[in-house]
Amino acid sequence: MSREVVFRFDGAPYPGRDGQTIAAALIDHGILSWRRTRVDDQPRGILCGIGVCFDCLITVNGEPNVRACMTGVEDGDDLRSQEGTGYAQ
Amino acid sequence: MPSDIVIVGGGVAGIAAAVVAARSGCSVTLLDSGSAVGGQYYRGAKSPESGSGLSYEALRRAFDELVVARGIDRRLDTYVYSLARRDSGFVVRTRGDDRHRGDVDVLESRAVVIATGAFDKQLPFPGWTLPGVMSGGGAQALVKGSDVLPGQRIVVAGTGPFLLAVTYALISAGGNVIAVVEANDPVGLARHAWSVLPAAGKSADLAKFVTALAKKRVPYLRRHRVRRASGTGHLESVTISRVDGDWRGIAGSERIWECDALAIGYGFTAQTDLAGQVGARMRIGSDGGLAVEVDERQRTSVPALMAAGETTGIGGVDLARMEGLIAGVAAVEQCGRQAALSDAAIARGMRDVLKLRRFADALHFAFPVRDGWRDDVDDQTLVCRCEEVSASKVRGAVSDLGARDARSVKLLTRAGMGWCQGRICAPAVDALCRFDSAASLIGGSYRPVAVPVPLGAIAAES
Repeated sequence: MSREVVFRFDGAPYPGRDGQTIAAALIDHGILSWRRTRVDDQPRGILCGIGVCFDCLITVNGEPNVRACMTGVEDGDDLRSQEGTGYAQ
Repeated sequence: MPSDIVIVGGGVAGIAAAVVAARSGCSVTLLDSGSAVGGQYYRGAKSPESGSGLSYEALRRAFDELVVARGIDRRLDTYVYSLARRDSGFVVRTRGDDRHRGDVDVLESRAVVIATGAFDKQLPFPGWTLPGVMSGGGAQALVKGSDVLPGQRIVVAGTGPFLLAVTYALISAGGNVIAVVEANDPVGLARHAWSVLPAAGKSADLAKFVTALAKKRVPYLRRHRVRRASGTGHLESVTISRVDGDWRGIAGSERIWECDALAIGYGFTAQTDLAGQVGARMRIGSDGGLAVEVDERQRTSVPALMAAGETTGIGGVDLARMEGLIAGVAAVEQCGRQAALSDAAIARGMRDVLKLRRFADALHFAFPVRDGWRDDVDDQTLVCRCEEVSASKVRGAVSDLGARDARSVKLLTRAGMGWCQGRICAPAVDALCRFDSAASLIGGSYRPVAVPVPLGAIAAES
């Protein structure tokens, strides 16, 4: 079985498993959305789930616009919901 | 040090090509954007024990051995953002994963094999941007790649046999799939497809899927479509209804189902970006989508450029494997070497490719996309999710502003101008605007940078 990791999402700690994507780790906890769009301020989660559509962007350790579906979750990650482009936060 | 051969994509096609090339004495670099080889179908499944000959299992085992024995340079979490010709070979520009976007590299090779696969085709409908609505491939990736289910009550919808594969993956992992919603009527339409099933060796797979669905009593609704997704902040229900042969909703047949995940897809779109960057000739596949044109040896119109798998037209995992083998042979020959695959095996492989391609064509004929979905797209429905462009704006670009092609619509509305570079919305824009999709697909397929890369990293290239 893969190693357990602990990450934070919007400040709160969650367990995850090494080898999971960030999207999977969040969905596993019932978190379906981690971005609000820059025009209509609407929530988004994953769509294509394989790196093509860029809908699942999230801010990881201060770096915005990371694709949650393609990026493995790492121990100690500080994940933040992304507002718009992610640069105004 | 330049490689003889760079292979882009470590799915089944790329693995097959790499095994042939490395066994034939060529130096091979294999690049994949994922954190494991295996592609969308096999994901990271570890070197399986079963399987012999030219099965995926045997090829995967051989690949792992050749990484050690012949030094295949396997680079995971690596994206190719640009492919260019240089002299008689290629320059391949790569970057790292999203944590290492600025880690760029420049590779050179004598030959390139493009095996970049495909992604689910989406058609917009009211509510499709709600979190919880995802592609069939995305749901499959969650469960196969991360062992996570997309929700507690899952609806699988769209069209094509892939819906069955997704459902099988979900229920095998203990998922609660409340129904499979198929827009076509494969029993009525697919006599031709069923007739070629045994020849293509596909009966076993299909039987496995159908048996599993029956055992779990998952309803399979034909001629039904998801008309709307609803919820506050996330998916809470879908409205489904019966549809006619053109996919128009039949009034009075609507039903609302509570669910928290919808896995949906209407076929696939091939990843053709890199071939497009070097001007390889494209064709329109039997599914109406763009594909890289190849000859019987998987050679594109660009010298020393081979393509294999879904990139050359949507056809499934077995076709991808055989095309990968043949592309590997062609790449080896391009490097002036003798391929380590017998002439008989090559001839058999080429025959298999033709057979499997015919099977794929039959499936596309049985599971077409009909026009009726457009009637559901109300003014507020977003067409371009990246730039948040509604259907009314897209239609208005044509009716009020006189746009006559997808490029004009893009310039007038920003549809297709966002992060995904129109990969998701292009088929929908063409259909909603009644554009000639063949011309539009070919015209809109040129993406000089295949994945975002920091300008500073490009500027620093010495």
